[in-house]
Amino acid sequence: MKFAIGMWLVLAGLVQAAGLEFAELINEVNAASDATSVTADFNFTNKGDKPVTIAKADPTCSCIKVQISEGKLTYAPGESGVIRTSFEVGNFSGSVDKVVALYIDNDKPDHPSMQITVRVHIPVIVGMEPKTLKWELGGKAEPKTVQIRMAEGKPIHVVDVKSSSEAFSCELKTLEEGKKYDLVVTPKIMDVPSISVIRIQTDCEIVRYRVQQAFAVIPRPTPSATPSKP
Amino acid sequence: MIKGISELVAILAISLGAAGTTYWLKGPPVRLFVCDPASLKPDEICLQQLSPATKVLWVDARHRKEWEESGVPDSALWNLDASENMQTFEADIAARILESPRVIVYCGDENCGLSRQVAERIRALQLGAEVSVLRGGWRALNEAGRTRSGGAMIKDSNPKS
Repeated sequence: MKFAIGMWLVLAGLVQAAGLEFAELINEVNAASDATSVTADFNFTNKGDKPVTIAKADPTCSCIKVQISEGKLTYAPGESGVIRTSFEVGNFSGSVDKVVALYIDNDKPDHPSMQITVRVHIPVIVGMEPKTLKWELGGKAEPKTVQIRMAEGKPIHVVDVKSSSEAFSCELKTLEEGKKYDLVVTPKIMDVPSISVIRIQTDCEIVRYRVQQAFAVIPRPTPSATPSKP
Repeated sequence: MIKGISELVAILAISLGAAGTTYWLKGPPVRLFVCDPASLKPDEICLQQLSPATKVLWVDARHRKEWEESGVPDSALWNLDASENMQTFEADIAARILESPRVIVYCGDENCGLSRQVAERIRALQLGAEVSVLRGGWRALNEAGRTRSGGAMIKDSNPKS
């Protein structure tokens, strides 16, 4: 009996979740370099034989706004709708996945039966790789390099470099004016844990890319890496 | 048979009346958040698993206003609001991580995915920190009296970011 009830509940859940059918569950969007927001539409149809209600759409990030067919939440069999997601680009860059959880009909809290994903590709106008340079405490004070590469198009120049800590020295090498730079960072003291935020200022026309930062760190040894006393 | 049913109905009525009166006088029951370590995801931690001696850098993933009003004292703010400057968040964390390499992110909801996203961003900085997400989020901290509102909002608040 318990098995039968359990099976019935499982099947009922599957049918309910299968009611809404989306043209695609992941929607990829390319953002323009100066875009402040991008939108992605998710078209769906109720392919089931019962009306379906979208009880809640939870974007899990304040950077996403969700609008469902101008407020229409219940869909009769065969009826179609659109979920429009608007992503605020803010300081994001590179590829960003944002998930919107969809609670259909009587889904339990925190158990949405569907989710859709907005995959936004935001161009990296001023790239810094790696973002973090690391040295081992007590190791050699070897110079390490952050590569600064500008996107294709109008040249972008590095106009200033600042380190938040005097424990590291920074040297900017121009490989190709307005295109390629190397930032060579060398720690001065190796026996003290330290961190520096290294900021580069550029003349990029788009304000949000103008300042970029990388990190230089000599971390404290983790407890497991510390030799135990006899 | 009828007498038995009548008595049962009477008992139920008295019980419901008593429960209703209690609810009316005392309000709804306070349901404290319970964290079961056995149900944790690999990057999560229960508040009770932390030793009082552990120095933690708390990171609040809620909106700035909520953090200012009811965040953990001395916590850092890091949310994904488009109006915020991520570089400032990064620099702030970097400046403090050396002294507190144990970082725990919390947000307003018990199962908030936002704190996981923030934790991933902090890990990506590779500053040598151990980064976890607090199961139970702000609610668990508030019930433990660790927030600026210090448990005062247990009964009527469960903000969600």
